[in-house]
Amino acid sequence: MGSINFIVLPPLSLYVHLPWCESKCPYCDFNSHPLRGELPESAYLEALLSDLEFQLPGVWGRRLTSVYIGGGTPSLFSVQGVGDLLGGIRARLPCAPDLEISLEANPGSSDAAKFTGFREAGVNRLSIGVQSFDTALLQRLGRIHDRNQALAAVRAARAAGFDNINLDLMFGLPGQSVAQAVCDIDTAIEQQPAHISCYQLTLEPNTWFHRNPPLCPNEDAIWEMQLAVQSRLAAAGYHQYEVSAYAKNGFRCRHNLNYWQFGDYLGIGAGAHSKISFADRVVRSIRTRHPQGYLTPTQANPSVARSYELTAADIGFEFLMNALRLTQGFSPRLFQQHTGQALSVISPALGELQRDGLLLVDAQCIKATDTGYRHLDGMLQRLLPESTDVASRR
Amino acid sequence: MDTHELTKIRNFAIIAHVDHGKSTLADRFIQRCGGLSEREMEDQVLDSMELERERGITIKAQSVTLNYRARDGDTYRLNLIDTPGHVDFSYEVSRSLTACEGALLVVDASQGVEAQTVAVCHTAVDLGLEVIPVLNKIDLPAAEPARVLEDIENIIGISCENAVHCSAKTGQGVDDVLEAIVEFLPPPRGSIDGRLKALILDSWFDNYLGTVSLIRIVDGGLKIKDRIRMMATGRDYVAEQVGVFTPKRTPTQRLLTGDVGYLVAGVKDVKGARVGDTVISSVLPAENPLSGFQEIKPRVFAGLYTVSSGDYGALRDALDRLSLNDASLSYDPETSEALGFGFRCGFLGMLHMEIIQERLEREYGLEIITTAPTVVYEIETAKGEVMAIENPSQLPDPAMIREIREPFIEARMLMPQEYVGSIITLCVEKRGIHKDIQYLGRRVMLHFELPLNEVVLDFFDKLKSISRGYASLDYEFKCFRASDMCKVDILINGDKVDPLSVLVHRKQADYRARELVKRMRNLIPRQMFDVAIQAAIGSRVIARETVKALRKNVTAKCYGGDITRKRKLLEKQKEGKKRMKQIGSVEIPQEAFLAVLRVDGE
Repeated sequence: MGSINFIVLPPLSLYVHLPWCESKCPYCDFNSHPLRGELPESAYLEALLSDLEFQLPGVWGRRLTSVYIGGGTPSLFSVQGVGDLLGGIRARLPCAPDLEISLEANPGSSDAAKFTGFREAGVNRLSIGVQSFDTALLQRLGRIHDRNQALAAVRAARAAGFDNINLDLMFGLPGQSVAQAVCDIDTAIEQQPAHISCYQLTLEPNTWFHRNPPLCPNEDAIWEMQLAVQSRLAAAGYHQYEVSAYAKNGFRCRHNLNYWQFGDYLGIGAGAHSKISFADRVVRSIRTRHPQGYLTPTQANPSVARSYELTAADIGFEFLMNALRLTQGFSPRLFQQHTGQALSVISPALGELQRDGLLLVDAQCIKATDTGYRHLDGMLQRLLPESTDVASRR
Repeated sequence: MDTHELTKIRNFAIIAHVDHGKSTLADRFIQRCGGLSEREMEDQVLDSMELERERGITIKAQSVTLNYRARDGDTYRLNLIDTPGHVDFSYEVSRSLTACEGALLVVDASQGVEAQTVAVCHTAVDLGLEVIPVLNKIDLPAAEPARVLEDIENIIGISCENAVHCSAKTGQGVDDVLEAIVEFLPPPRGSIDGRLKALILDSWFDNYLGTVSLIRIVDGGLKIKDRIRMMATGRDYVAEQVGVFTPKRTPTQRLLTGDVGYLVAGVKDVKGARVGDTVISSVLPAENPLSGFQEIKPRVFAGLYTVSSGDYGALRDALDRLSLNDASLSYDPETSEALGFGFRCGFLGMLHMEIIQERLEREYGLEIITTAPTVVYEIETAKGEVMAIENPSQLPDPAMIREIREPFIEARMLMPQEYVGSIITLCVEKRGIHKDIQYLGRRVMLHFELPLNEVVLDFFDKLKSISRGYASLDYEFKCFRASDMCKVDILINGDKVDPLSVLVHRKQADYRARELVKRMRNLIPRQMFDVAIQAAIGSRVIARETVKALRKNVTAKCYGGDITRKRKLLEKQKEGKKRMKQIGSVEIPQEAFLAVLRVDGE
């Protein structure tokens, strides 16, 4: 494949993973672990910052555009802990003046005072894992909160001074009717958050739901829910900019947008992934998944579990895997800047998809057509680099 | 045996239906005569191909030489020549029989006679072989020896005076069978001092030895270093190695009149040592060739393509190697608009085709797309030329065709009386022509002429299911006969997919087309677009089905670190689609190409 040559490096963001939850939800395939006993907060914070320091040489002189504290349930952390973490980050890396700092919070494990504290520590975007406002459905999802707590969490966030609030919602839940899904989205809109993420429930491998599949709405009902969600949100001024992300003007999530535009990111915390571009290569590294192993790295089991260079073909594919999720797609310039390669390396493949009516390609913009957008996975399967499966067959 | 006495040799074959215990009986013989040590005794040693053992069938002829000390105190050399039991390989049967003076007719004492056995047994009798009926599995509670003996006399028409009862499984009566071979089967005739004449029964390719031929010495003798000639090619060789199978390949100094053994003579490929050819001495050449066998023409053709076009070369190499051992396999390069480069392969029958496909996948690691098999049609053009069509897509423009002739077979079916009615109905449905019906005790022998095309499709499966497995079938090619055939094309989203074209009888075209597209609708997975499946004769669409598009197929969540996991999922899903061939923008699974085979499946 072609050579990699970055003229300018892509924007850099930082992801911080806090891998504990009060309990594990049956649909969750994230690296989260039920909390047994006391949260080892200070030890973990120490590990996070040494993890960051370990990665600093790879991003020397570069400036952070966003920080995202996710999990797990980051709101389990104390105000003091989050403050120390953010201070530690600022002390080690230059930050953009308008740095976006998001934190995920669960309605069941937060109170108003905590939200105020987070806000004061520098968090300026709060993402609340509501999932649903229907108490019965929440129970089926294994969530520890109910409708009232969800509503209270949103009020508390607002009272704490957050104007950039995201609500995470899900549809296609076990036993959910189309009317219930519409009711959920309407309730979310009534809260007037700046951002709404609305996901179809997916039974991911390695989850309890995958092993014990619940009875979910059928394909047609789910489709009806999706259309309803999209039209309600659009009518309320939330613009869809990604498969599951909707925002009011000016409130797109900068951090996630950086992923989807194939920007660079540092990841710190158990199981966190980093993707860093250098002048002539792109390197991905993954930290030890289990919190205990991450806290006490040894020679045999270092905190970085794996680190590898992406091939040129992988870079091109992974760019598309992300950027085609955006409703606006991407510009040829962005491809070149964020992959270090000329667009010509992927244009034959794009041409085929264009011919099949899945892609719109012009000089300014490359994006999925309506059909392509509905069948992103099918389209991406066609784009998967051949090399890996040829290698596995030989 | 110091002196070579023809009277101490017996060459025999075993005629048996699949599962009637031929291989087990052969194993007993080998055990009894000490051909192998306990340790070497593997189940069914004669079926040496992995596939043969798995499917419990014999594909290639083989032989084993047994030294048997009879009750009269003399030691006899018994050459067992194994024969395949499936109708596809019937030519191999007559080939093996030619080398024998006698045969054992092994019949399952609980099942009775099957059509296949009847046909082979008649061939044996026609060739002048002495046949000894052997009732096997008499240890089974369901065994009805008296009824089965009656069957043999009624249906096959041979005397059961010398019939032997045995159980190959328990070993009971096995010695009696060996004694009967010595007592009732004639020794070989031939001139010990005459000029060498040996018949090639089979040839196969061995990676170390080159071509190995199984031969039967008819006159004279053959020792190592002898200069020999293959009569058909006229080429001379030197006998490098001769010997017998015990069943291990055991070299000897020479083979003499009446012997059955192997010959290695530095022949480069199996075509140089053609089955049925006569081996003679090039120093003292004998004059007339032995009557060999007719060359076997493949009757069933199918296109073989690789799933990924990069494997074309590997497929060619694999076919080259398979054909070294299988003279009946033919293959010629062919190009399909939909499938790319591949080969049009000729087979003896459906089983042969399945076996080749399985061997390509198993032994050569290839992923194969097989198109629906078709028979060879004869076309007479408007100009009066006659051409053979092995692929419906080669069919000339209808205006250029004066007549299409399709191959007919003569089928004999043997069944218990109660199924006669429904089997006649089936044959008539399949455009069969009733020739004869014989009532033989409680069983019935039906004679029908049937279009081979219908038999290839699913006739055998249907016959078996209608009769609950009790009916058996044997057939041979009869003739080409004019038929009102037409070509039905399949269009996927408006594009004609040439490997899916089929020739069908005009009367059945509408029904077949509807069944075919319905079946394909169930086989083609839902994709991004609606997939229209149409069947058309010329430009006239006669059936249509639609595979509705999936509503959506999008990963709901994908953030930074997720990407490696989500990518693995995509790769896994793609792997699952591997056996699908991309045609235009539609993905078509292998089964869809074979849908035509099962049109009236359910």
